[in-house]
Amino acid sequence: MDLLERAPIELKSWFLNLLGSFGVPQGILSVLSAVIIIGTVIGVFLGLFALMSVMERKILARAQNRYGPNRVGFFRWRLFGLFQPVADGIKMITKEDLVPRTSDRAVHFLAPVVMMIPALLVLAILPYGRDMVPAELDAGILYFFAVGAGTEVAVFMAGWASNNKYSVLGAMRAIAQMISYEIPLVMAAIIAAMISGSLSPSAIVAAQGGFAWGFVPQWFVLTPWGFTAGLLFYIAALAESNRSPFDLPEGESELVAGHLTEYSGFKYATFFMAEYIGMFAVCGLLVTLFLGGWQAPLPFLTIIPSWCWFFGKVCFVAFTMVWVRATLPRLRIDHMLAFAWKFLLPMSFAAFLSAACWHYAGRGPLAWLLSLAIVGIPYLILGTAFTNRFAISRRTYQFSE
Amino acid sequence: MTCEFLKACSADPMKFLGEWFVLLPALVLLMAAGAAVVMRNLIHAALCLTLSFIALGIVFIALGAEFVGFVQLLVYVGAVAMVIVFAILLTKPERLTKSVSAFSGLGPAGGAAVGFVVLAALLGFIFTSPLAKKPLPTPASAPVADIGQALMGDYVVALIAIGVLLTAALVGAAVIAMEDKP
Repeated sequence: MDLLERAPIELKSWFLNLLGSFGVPQGILSVLSAVIIIGTVIGVFLGLFALMSVMERKILARAQNRYGPNRVGFFRWRLFGLFQPVADGIKMITKEDLVPRTSDRAVHFLAPVVMMIPALLVLAILPYGRDMVPAELDAGILYFFAVGAGTEVAVFMAGWASNNKYSVLGAMRAIAQMISYEIPLVMAAIIAAMISGSLSPSAIVAAQGGFAWGFVPQWFVLTPWGFTAGLLFYIAALAESNRSPFDLPEGESELVAGHLTEYSGFKYATFFMAEYIGMFAVCGLLVTLFLGGWQAPLPFLTIIPSWCWFFGKVCFVAFTMVWVRATLPRLRIDHMLAFAWKFLLPMSFAAFLSAACWHYAGRGPLAWLLSLAIVGIPYLILGTAFTNRFAISRRTYQFSE
Repeated sequence: MTCEFLKACSADPMKFLGEWFVLLPALVLLMAAGAAVVMRNLIHAALCLTLSFIALGIVFIALGAEFVGFVQLLVYVGAVAMVIVFAILLTKPERLTKSVSAFSGLGPAGGAAVGFVVLAALLGFIFTSPLAKKPLPTPASAPVADIGQALMGDYVVALIAIGVLLTAALVGAAVIAMEDKP
């Protein structure tokens, strides 16, 4: 049991000891140790990306009552079409790389590269299991958002360098959306950091450890403020990773493919990959902040290794994102921005206040009622105001009438 | 020489990298900042400026000021760079190719003179300030918790004043932008 729990760490130290016994100097070993960690993390997330690219189509197909990809296999063995990512990869690599003649070539080339860097860098601070944090940072949460800011630059570069009006419009929409939704996202993260008293992801996971009455996990999502903040974080994460119903920047009915219009072949694949890895990273942060990280949901389930719990939870959150995509239609741009500023932002303030009251009222039953009221009343007021406003008002276009 | 270098490198590469790591981003910072001044294409200049912001953040991190480095990245790359880029995009496109400068009439010599005067003034202030005479404090790594305590304790009034100022600026910007609503 304990062996399986520590298997990844033991395997690495066994390998390094083996090399050390052959006389490899200590300095090289410490570099090699870092390389192994980086390689494993990137490998796992690339595997998840490949799996996700086929599972997303399968789940969407299931939701739409059809089969989805099920042909690609290995000679006779179809394996439910699980080899689809291989076929996709070959297609993407062999496709012609088109660059518009009037584009800004250097920036056009650099945009997918710049997009990939933050997506990979943010993976460094997630606690994947007990004692399994690639980079133990005091300000890990801050690092996540600081590095993530690079994505906006990449999107702008892609949109502007393509020299295409749809690209620029798509990039501007994407940046407006990212900036708007970053505020509720960060506010929700701050709430979790505030209650656990630390910006370090491992400390936040540790603060959610243990069980009340021996079987109820102490995850933040199981408190009124934590549930609200977790939901806000989830919605903002959907928008941050440009996923449906917030995938307007790439809304094909109005903007062709937004900032990706002029990209093809491997560059397009790089964007695609960066977006999915970014999505997994933000799911991982959601799991770390509110869903108890690598902690098991019930005491007797702790026999399953912690890293299995982490990736299981991440896959579950990713599955719900696909589910949302299959269910909800795309929003309109003004509705989407209004939703961020007029609903998510006040609600995140309410959740903030509620968390503070929960803490100072002693975290008992009274604190529960108080924080529930502080979250619930603004939700009712804002919710009714919001639905009334958008149910009645009819948008008149300034220049079309 | 090369042998010594390799020996030092293989003995403790992490420490070695840590000591030399600060030079690389500093070099990138200088080059990117220089390019931002020289570039004719305004968007390229803005992107170079963004690169210099990033490099500055990495310099902070390499020097042990993690928190400042992250905040530098978050604020300057995430917000300030985007504001600059949008300001350029929303101005007239024909200006993108022309060089725009308040001192265009002065020519390169005038520009150099202005730059020199500013540099001289800055250097003068730096060397005559009382801070320059103080001995360098021993570098201490400031944990994030300590910075948080200081911000919420000793400097809480300044923090709140800045917050109010920024909120007022935000509301003002929204009011100005709302002008042409139907």
